[in-house]
Order: sequence, then C-alpha cells, then structure tokens
Amino acid sequence: MSDDKTTIKHFCHKPGQLVTLDPAKFLPLPPPFDKPELEPKMKPLSDEGRKKYECDLDSIITVKFPRPETEEEKRELVEKFLSGLKKLFEKENNWTFLQPLFLTMEFCAKCQTCSDACPVYNESGKVDIYRPTYRSDILRRLYKTYVKKGGKFFAKISGDNIEATWTMVARLMELSYRCTICRRCAQTCPIGADNGLVTRELRKIFSQEMGINLDPLHKKGSVVQLAVGSSTGMNPAAYLDNIEFLEEEVEERTDMKFKWPMDKAGAEILLIHNAGEFLAWPENPEAFAIIFEAAGIDYTLSSELVGYDSVNYGVWYDDVQFAKVALKHAEAAKKLGVKKIVLAECGHAHKALTVIADRVLAGEYNIPRESSMTLLREIVMSGRLKLDASRNDDITTTMHDPCNMVRLMGIVQPQRDVLKAVSNNFREMTPHGVYNYCCGGGSGFAITQDANFPDWRQNVSGRAKMRQILNVFQDIIGPEHKKYVCAPCSNCKGALRDMFASYGLFEKCNVLYGGLVELVVNAMTEIDKPFIEWEWH
Amino acid sequence: MGGFTVLQLLFYLSLLVFVIAMIMKALKISNMPLHLRWDLYPIPHEKGKAKYGGSYFEETDWWIKPKEISIANEIKEMGKEIIFVHSLMQNNRPLWVFSFPFHFGMYLLIGFVVMLALGAILEISGTTVSAASASGLVVIVHYLTVVLGIAGWILASFGALGLLLSRMFNGDLRKVSVRADYFNLVLLLAIFAIGLVSCFAFDTPNADLRGFVGSLISFEPAGVLPIATAIQLWLMAILLVYLPFTHMAHFLGKYFTYHKVRWEDAANLRGNKIEAAVKEGLDYQINWSASHIKSGGTWAEAATEESSKDE
Repeated sequence: MSDDKTTIKHFCHKPGQLVTLDPAKFLPLPPPFDKPELEPKMKPLSDEGRKKYECDLDSIITVKFPRPETEEEKRELVEKFLSGLKKLFEKENNWTFLQPLFLTMEFCAKCQTCSDACPVYNESGKVDIYRPTYRSDILRRLYKTYVKKGGKFFAKISGDNIEATWTMVARLMELSYRCTICRRCAQTCPIGADNGLVTRELRKIFSQEMGINLDPLHKKGSVVQLAVGSSTGMNPAAYLDNIEFLEEEVEERTDMKFKWPMDKAGAEILLIHNAGEFLAWPENPEAFAIIFEAAGIDYTLSSELVGYDSVNYGVWYDDVQFAKVALKHAEAAKKLGVKKIVLAECGHAHKALTVIADRVLAGEYNIPRESSMTLLREIVMSGRLKLDASRNDDITTTMHDPCNMVRLMGIVQPQRDVLKAVSNNFREMTPHGVYNYCCGGGSGFAITQDANFPDWRQNVSGRAKMRQILNVFQDIIGPEHKKYVCAPCSNCKGALRDMFASYGLFEKCNVLYGGLVELVVNAMTEIDKPFIEWEWH
Repeated sequence: MGGFTVLQLLFYLSLLVFVIAMIMKALKISNMPLHLRWDLYPIPHEKGKAKYGGSYFEETDWWIKPKEISIANEIKEMGKEIIFVHSLMQNNRPLWVFSFPFHFGMYLLIGFVVMLALGAILEISGTTVSAASASGLVVIVHYLTVVLGIAGWILASFGALGLLLSRMFNGDLRKVSVRADYFNLVLLLAIFAIGLVSCFAFDTPNADLRGFVGSLISFEPAGVLPIATAIQLWLMAILLVYLPFTHMAHFLGKYFTYHKVRWEDAANLRGNKIEAAVKEGLDYQINWSASHIKSGGTWAEAATEESSKDE
C-alpha cells in the first residue's frame, strides 16, 4: 500500500496526526475470528491524552511525553536529539554498537526485501510508517545530513537531506516503539543491514541523551530493579517470603516437601528466574524446583539484590542500564562462587546475559552462562526423571519460539526434544524455529500497559502470532479440545496472556499458554495430581 | 609524464582514489571497537546445527566443549550469496530477476577487464592477441575477452535496466529512492550503452580498450581512441571515483555485516583476545547526558555506579 501522505517530508513537517490506523485493513484472521467484529476493538485515545501527550504519529501512546509548550523548548529538544545522534557515531560513546550501526547506515541498498518479513508492517495492512526501512531511512538521512562531514551539502545533492524538526523528533520517539526488534527483517537482508538494530539505537538516543524512555522499562523497570532488587518491586525480604510460600504450595500440590536451596555458596549452578514468574506464574519456578530436586541438581537461588531477577530491560533501550544489570547478575554469581549461571524460562534474559553481556563481563565477572533448555534436555534424556508422556495426552501442544532464545541465540532443538518427550500430541507452527514470529510483546511491549498501547499490541504486533496459533489448531479449534501453547519465556507469556484475554481465546477455543517445565512436571509419574491446573490465569 | 593523455591521467587518478578510498573504508570499519554481540541465526559454520539454525548454546557446558565449526558450510553459504545473491532469490524474487543478472554480469565484466589486461601484457611482450594466433593461450585470451565482454554486457545491462525500471515504477521502491539511487543506475547504463555503440560503430572495440589498458600498464602514451570509447572510459573513471562513497560499495560492507556481526559468535573466554578488547571498551570515556548516566568517567565506572530509585 502506498500512502503518499507519509513521505519523509510529511513526517518532518505535517502538523497533526500523521496516520490513522484502519482495522478493516488489518490482515484477516482465521476462524473463529474471521469477522472483524469478533476482534478486540481499538479504543481511541482520549481528547485529554491527545492534548497532553505527543501522539502525532498514529495516535498510539507509549512514551507519554508531554507536549512542549514553547518554540524554545522544542528547539532545545531538537538540539539535544542531534547531540545524541552525534554521540551514537562516536566510538567512545557507542563502542557497543558503532560498527553494526555504521554498516547499516552506509550500505542499505533500499531493496525493501525486509518489508515482507516484518509482521508489524504486514499485519497492519502495510502502514508505511511501520515499514522496517522507514525509521532507518530517517536515521540514515539524519546521519548523512548532520553527522557526516560536509553532510548538509552532499546530502542535498544526493537527495538524502532531512530537516530536524520537533515534529520529526517527537514522531521518531514514538516510532522507535513500533518495532519489536524481532530482527526477522535483518534475517532476510541480502546486505546484512539491520533495521531492528536501528530501532534500538534510536531508543538509545532518547534514553541515554534525552532521558526519554518508557516508564515500564526504565523508571519502573531497570531503575527499580537496581535499587530494590527486582523490576517487580519485590525486595530481597519479600522474595524470601515468596519462596517460603511457594515451598508450601509445592507441598500442597505434589506432596513433595523440600527446601529450595538459597544462597548456597559453592553450588554448581545459580538458577535465575524472571522475577515476574514468582508473582504471575508461580507454577513455573515451582516446576523448576521440583525437577531440579528430583534430578538431584546441585544448584542455588540467590537473594542478592538483582540476583533473583533475570530481567534486563536495558537490552531494549539503554546500553548503560543494560551493563549495570548484567554486572549485578554476574556479581551475585561471583559472591556465591558458582560454576555457572543457568537462565530459567525468559528469552530476553537468555540473550542479555549469555550473548550480549558476553562483551561486557570481563575477568572474575566472566562466569559461564547457560540456558535452562539445554540442562532440561540433559535431565529429561538422562532418565533421571520418571516420565510418562501419556499423562499429557488430553492436551495438544505447540511450541512458541521466543525470538531472543531462537533467532538471536540459536537455541532451537533442546526445548523441542523436551517437549516431545513429554507430549505425544505436539505440532509445529508455520513458520517456526529461527523463522518464527514474535509474540507481539518483544522489546518491552509485553510490559507496556499505558494508554491505548495494549490495543495496538493485541491487534497489530501480536497478530501474526495469533494467526499462527489459530492455524496450528484449526482442525481442533473448538472448546472441546484442550490446547497448550508452550512458551518458555516470561515476556512471551505476558504478551500471550493479554492477547488471549482480549480475544477470549481460552473461553472460545480452550487454548491455554504456559511454560515448558509445567508440562514436564505434569508428566512425572511420582506426582499423583495433575500439575497443570486447566484454568485461565 | 610527457605524452600521457588527459584520459590516462584521469584513469590513474580515479584508480588511485578508488583503491585508497576502499582501503580507507575497510580500515575505518575494521578499526572500530569490538561491539557487543549481535548474532543472527542460522549461522552456517555451526557444524550439524546450521540446517535448523542451532548454535553451540544448545550444549550444556558449551564453554569447555570443543567448538565444532564447518568452514566448508560457511564457504558454501558465502558462495551461494556471492554468486547467486541467494538471500534475495529466497526473499524477493521479483527483484532478484534483475539483481542476479546484474551482479553476475558485473562479475563477468570484471573477468573481461582481467582478460583485457592479460591481452595487453601479451601485446606489450610482442604477441598480437587474435583468433588467428598460433598460440592456444592467446586464442583462449582472445575468445574469453569476447565471450566475457558480450555475456557480461548483456546480463549487466539487462539487470541494471530492470533495476532502474523497478525503482521508477514499483511504488514500494520508488518511495524510498532518492536522486543518487537513480543516478547510480543511470551512470552504469550509460557506460553499457556507449559500450554497445563502440561495438557497432568501430571495427576493433576490444583492441582499442586493450590498447588503453596496455598504455596504463606500460606507462606509455595511449593511442588515439574512438570518441565513444573515450567517453566510456571517462564515465568509468567517474564511476571509480564515485563508487566507494555510495552504497554500491556494499560488496565490501557485506563482508563485515556477515562475518563481523551476524555470524560473529566468538565467545569471550577468560584471558582471550576478546576479553582484552572488552576491557578496552569499558575504559572508553562516556559522555551521554541523561541523568541516570554518570558521565565524564569510563564506561566501567558508569556501569558500576550505585543506583537509586530516584533516577
């Protein structure tokens, strides 16, 4: 779809709302949501919100940035943005991603191959501003005009020039939160350019230079995590209380009575969960504890500040916050003297600490990190657990691949081997593995609940995943069949929970979501009662 | 330099600019600090795992196990990409229909230039390059020059024209294209078109070009060239100077995007070179302005600063 009202010139100068989303143009879903009226409605932004906050991109709000009142304020904000832009191309300030960013800025051939890979762009009915190269093209023009030597002259000749206005900066601020950084686009690029990286680099200008970011990621996210211990606000004392409660709950559910190892110095493994699990899906850490206890794993949990919450939201918006949290994770492991850190079921925590932090942690902080998926496979395949897959026979399962774990770190097969060992009714979505679609909650979207953003997430960024889930179960879509989307990632589960709720998927189709370990425990013969409680939560 | 034609001098200069600019660009990129990992799977050198996109992270205790690497598979993937533009074939077939012949044609034309140079060296050493030569090698050089030139010209011209028309008439491409994108293709097409004129208007176009290449190699004054050939060479000189500063230099960038970003999965193990580079990065001075960042010190200091809830 070509929309000539969204040219770069319009983006920089046209006052008012640039794009109005039309749900009728969204790609249709399969039954039972094949009629638009059956889909969740997108609520319009209130007049008050519209007046108060910058929302002139598409009338969706994530950043909640108050509209500047004077031209002077606007000018200062633009100058600050340009100052951050320049720092993005300095090795001292951005050694972390300078090389990949420079390559993407210099060599994109504008072939638009990436467009077809982007679920947000396609599912929205090809709204042009969501095209992966749209925001990259703006950043590239800014780079060519304001950063490169002689930029204003040469960019004008080549046609790559752009004028930095507050209208442009404000829209770009919101536009940097319309991409889940799933990097499907980068996977298809013949040159190797990376529009997902561009999204993150733009967020860095706003956060690291202007102090503008999403509250759930920064103020209520990494800042709280570093100060209190967890982005959930759970301090170490509350965490220890929580663990005691979960120990009791495990005993009630399974008749297994045991203490969860806490701060055990010299243990082989430090297991770190996404702390959101303790509050939203306690059955997941419970299942880990049951499996590790039954398999005789030498591990410990930590009650050290940040050591009990694997999240690292900096991975989505800010290198400094990212490094701070990664160092705290390593510090917790160092204090306990463990041989390795194992990440429980959280995709971004996997990638953050195992892959990206690999170039932040040095010396004694460089403690090996490993995925729980591989350890679980080893446990399950070793025969240390008595498993009977037929205990899951009433459930048809599918695997949702968390982008961070799969496309971005190549952990594909272990979780499948485990799932196949405990489920006789497993089926794959199309596409899956490294070519999967994001849950729609990637890059912080799953925890962004402000204003009308959840409507956008449910209808646009999560739409491709919704279609995949409906398609994979289409022959048994009725509520008489139990269906389980196995998502070994807290953020994905959060996104699926909200999306399923908004569509009424559990009530209408009996589709539940959950982690991998719950299915494993459900198949353990030494536990009498079913571990998975088939109810909406 | 007495006796050199302006065109010769221009060509020496453009070659010099091209080589220096490309080397400078390559050095600039390769001297950038080691970045944080940004892997993207599948990574073809993952032995036995690449076919489904797996990595060494699928192994427990991966850091103590020998890393199984398949160089052959990586070379195979590179070969597919370099020769067939494989990712475009898979993901954007309508554009690949033009992009593949364009790129393949360009490779053939590079081969054509190599054959011209070889022929020129033969002629400098007193051997005339022609089909009637008694030497089999000379005959091969003659025919390879002709075949590579014609085949390369046909494929590259077809591809470049198709790419230009796609940019002009495909709405999705038109809206992202700027003057420079059209200019690049028009310049190439102009060189190809004049090449065609030379072929039909003059008896010995290859010999003329070979003579010019020979003059560059031998540092001897060039003979008088037909006007079309001279114009073609002028345009090629402009292309050589211009190309390194455009995205057409992606043949260089692609090495880095694939090998230094997407497929760069070397782990930072204690005491290895990567760890040293990481320490260097953490020693850089940081100067971001947001209040939650301690500016003025090093990255390591900013990352270890104690945080408060009020940031």
